[in-house]
Amino acid sequence: MNALTPNNGKIGARTPLIDGVEKVTGKAKYTADLPHVGALVGRILRSTKAHARILSIDVSKAAALPGVVAVITGEDTPVPFGVLPIAENEYPLAREKVRYRGDPVAALAAIDEKTAEAALKLIRIDYEDLPAYYDPRKAMAAGVVPLHDDKPNNVLREVHNEFGNSEEGFAKADLIRTKTYKFAEVNHVHIEPNASLAEYDPERGYLTLHTTTQVPYYVHLKVAQCLQMDTARIRVVKPFLGGGFGARTEALSFEIITSLLAVKAKGKVRTLQSREDTFISHRGRPAAEITLKLGMTKDGKITACHEEVIQPGGAYAGYGIITILYTGALLHGIYDLPAIKHDAWRVYTNTPPCGAMRGHGTVDARAAFEDLMTIMGEELGLDPFQVRRGNLIQSVPYTTMLAQKVMSYGLPECLDKVMKASGWAQRRGHMPKGRGLGLGCAHFVSGTSTPKHWTGEPHAIVNLKLDFDGGLTIFTGAADIGQGSSTMAAQVVAEVLGVEIKRINVIAADSALTPKDNGSYSSRVTFMVGNASLHAAQQLRQLLAEAAARKLEANPSDIVNHDEHFMVAGSQDKGLPFADVVKEAMVNSGAITVKGTYNCPKEFMGDKAIRGSAIGATMGFCYSAQVVEAEVDEITGKVKPIKVWVAVDVGKALNPLAVEGQIQGGVWMGMGQALSEETRFDDGRMLHGNLIDYRVPTMQDSPDMEVIIVESIDPNGPFGAKEASEGMLAGFLPAVMDAVYEATGIRTDQLPLSPERMADYLDAKEAAQ
Amino acid sequence: MNLLPQFDFKRPQSLHEALAALTKEGAMAIAGGTDLLPNLRRGIGLPSQLVDLSALAGLSAVERQPDGGLRIGALVSLETLAESPLAPDAVKQAALGVAGPTHRAQATLGGNLCQDTRCVFYNQSDWWREGNGYCLKYRGDKCHVVAKSDRCYATYHGDIAPALMVLDAKVEIMGPKGTRSLALAGLFQEQGAKHLTLEAGELLTHIVIPPQAGWLSAYEKARVREAIEFPLAGVAVALKKEGGKIAGLRVAITGTNSAPLMVPVDELIGQVWNASAAETLAKSVRKISNVLKSTVSSVKYRRRMALALARKLTEALWIKAA
Repeated sequence: MNALTPNNGKIGARTPLIDGVEKVTGKAKYTADLPHVGALVGRILRSTKAHARILSIDVSKAAALPGVVAVITGEDTPVPFGVLPIAENEYPLAREKVRYRGDPVAALAAIDEKTAEAALKLIRIDYEDLPAYYDPRKAMAAGVVPLHDDKPNNVLREVHNEFGNSEEGFAKADLIRTKTYKFAEVNHVHIEPNASLAEYDPERGYLTLHTTTQVPYYVHLKVAQCLQMDTARIRVVKPFLGGGFGARTEALSFEIITSLLAVKAKGKVRTLQSREDTFISHRGRPAAEITLKLGMTKDGKITACHEEVIQPGGAYAGYGIITILYTGALLHGIYDLPAIKHDAWRVYTNTPPCGAMRGHGTVDARAAFEDLMTIMGEELGLDPFQVRRGNLIQSVPYTTMLAQKVMSYGLPECLDKVMKASGWAQRRGHMPKGRGLGLGCAHFVSGTSTPKHWTGEPHAIVNLKLDFDGGLTIFTGAADIGQGSSTMAAQVVAEVLGVEIKRINVIAADSALTPKDNGSYSSRVTFMVGNASLHAAQQLRQLLAEAAARKLEANPSDIVNHDEHFMVAGSQDKGLPFADVVKEAMVNSGAITVKGTYNCPKEFMGDKAIRGSAIGATMGFCYSAQVVEAEVDEITGKVKPIKVWVAVDVGKALNPLAVEGQIQGGVWMGMGQALSEETRFDDGRMLHGNLIDYRVPTMQDSPDMEVIIVESIDPNGPFGAKEASEGMLAGFLPAVMDAVYEATGIRTDQLPLSPERMADYLDAKEAAQ
Repeated sequence: MNLLPQFDFKRPQSLHEALAALTKEGAMAIAGGTDLLPNLRRGIGLPSQLVDLSALAGLSAVERQPDGGLRIGALVSLETLAESPLAPDAVKQAALGVAGPTHRAQATLGGNLCQDTRCVFYNQSDWWREGNGYCLKYRGDKCHVVAKSDRCYATYHGDIAPALMVLDAKVEIMGPKGTRSLALAGLFQEQGAKHLTLEAGELLTHIVIPPQAGWLSAYEKARVREAIEFPLAGVAVALKKEGGKIAGLRVAITGTNSAPLMVPVDELIGQVWNASAAETLAKSVRKISNVLKSTVSSVKYRRRMALALARKLTEALWIKAA
């Protein structure tokens, strides 16, 4: 199969997002902006204990307060939820135990915020303290009190995988090095705080939920499950959404709680979460301690890799099993490695649950790998580019030891382009004092070929409607979370039909109107929903070509279309305008709706014979290389990125404008993790729950960024496209570490390189001299 | 996002009216509100009455005095101050370093000087603080920074006070007992829970900077990001160099103690700035500063930066003065 070549000017054109104007003018309605006349105020009472048994909860005074309409506790939420069917252990409201400070314990709906606030203060909870664990090694020690009874040593998942023969690989190595890294926990800080608006119609027994989610489908499933309702009586709508970055790829307790409050109150309830609440919901990237061992021949070829990871993941399972598997799954697929050993532990701790975050599970592992590769290259006299070029995949198609298929591979071109753009050959090693250049590579999946809820349904479905007015409407369940998926679908349809994008409306993420979509996670939407959009558009084009052929007395296969006209190929006649073709197509038919689907072929779903190969199974990888130039201030310890050159193989940039934005955002998020962001706790108390103490970089901290798009044209992607927003994040970390090395001579092993940490490195260096 | 508590709201049209309104028990003044409102929304403070100063005339100008000094109204915005051609370097740098552009457009000089002290155990939601048994600064009887302490160690993180202090600025205060004027340093005291010496009903109206002939000044703060941050440690220096010697030197620090403090530097007057002078200054800063675990950033780093910035700025002014 070969990717289609676009020829109608809509694909590959810099296209402003179709909902961009609404956002920048403030017209866009986010969940908190929706009309809420008559809505009760929902509020959640959270645990003040990190680990404790709930002895009693007395809500009688709160319930008796005038204006309080509904009060619920764990007694009302007997069914647990969790994103993975094999690890559902979180209750919407805690039952028997609380497991982190912030665990929801009770909730209520009242006529106004003041009443709700006063009522919360009237709820009495008696706790019996249990030992709390924040350090994964302590949580795993013998004799601990388990957070969950089924895991006596608090290990959610232990992974021991080996691909190839690592012992033999290390035996062949001329150089073996081992290094331990510590990465801090980070949060997404999506700028729109969590919010839900739920309305229950007691006559119909019908619940309508507007909520801040990336995956309305999961919310739909989990609300039905926890409220023990028929899924047919629930409608989930995702309004405009202010970011997600993975935080909203699973149903969260506030959504289920708001729904339950609406049912209990027999009406409308709106729950707005504060920034602190949103930080407490967490689902960010867990801290990680990674010990990496690599073997290399003297010419830099890696002979074996052994990675050990310990990840404290917070109090509930969430995505934890996948996150820990991902730390190994994406060691594959970027270089040609003969042996990989992966030992990893995902540990429960008494902190807010971690989850999926942009670059899910792979970022810290990639940073460690890239850093050690650079260090060993240096020992062998190899430049960072040389050592990477010596380990590239030689040709595609290529199958990894985890059975992932690489059908397109633009990494070599990415390396060439950033090397040239950054002036590496002339500048590296000759930088002024206190400045350095560094290189890092990374990759990420274009969606997972093995969805977590296996149903036998296609991976994506898009409905496309054409009516008498000549208007086209795309119905997709895909949640546009700011990444531009609705624009992407419109571009694909406009390209195939040869029409203007303004002719197209996109209705997205409303379960009453749009076909179910698996959601906006793991960068699956462009690949899968793009392909489904393409399939729908091709079917409609065929119907229109047939209609045009009738009018033009030609063969449908001879009909071509562009610029809103259908005509006979090679004819001098300019053919029929789109409106006339539509009129003809409506005869004896009326409104047309076609359904486009996309299925990942079986051979892309991993190999059942290989353990763990369902994780990281994908249709294609996005690849990136980036060079970071940074400066280190010896007095303040500040690491200041000056410029980033980043080249990303996105397969085909369907919308270069959006792709550039996604790449900038990805690099920028990597920069935050590398230089300033980290969660902070004091004995389990979250200290960072605001935007002053959790330090997301500001515009003032942003380096100049040169984005280079590399197009390898993946044979299976829509017009050759792959993902374009995650595969460049991780590269910033090792690149800036390497730049810091050139600037100071210091090899770092702990992130973020905040001024205080960098100052400690500088002090240690001075003390050693 | 959290609800504000209930209070009366007054917007007086004259200073006289404002002072009268401030005499009400539990009344608080509000100017830009950038410091007060986030605290009120977190359940910190229950004012009976907010007295909005924004309609008061005569407090919004930066004016040259006949003697060459400056008189600055307490309602001058930080944006105006940062952009004022009259403002000395240290003041401009300090004003420009506060928060971000929107905050600076809204925030006032008086509000910045009088801003509340800060602490990781204090600038949290009511739920958070309640779960931690509150603290000495507000509603509690325990300091979480210094266990068993009988005083609060919340830290003063204002940027502009040290910059004005090294310029020998005075403040004019109006109150029920009339008008008084005192050195800016006297506005503060080393008590986290009561760091201002203003008495009930008193209002800071003006800041007066004496003529600065021959003096150079600068302010810099330790920060992780280039915007938003309160100073992890901030240092202001004013230097007068004559005949190759230090003829005058004033150094003030912020972000380290419960009040902005003048650093004693008498022994450096008449000296040449060199490595030993730098060490003397660092010792003096070390001696007077008392950095504790009141921020998420480490004590060690903040101490390091207070010393380093004092040396760096003095050195830079010494060179500039040559």
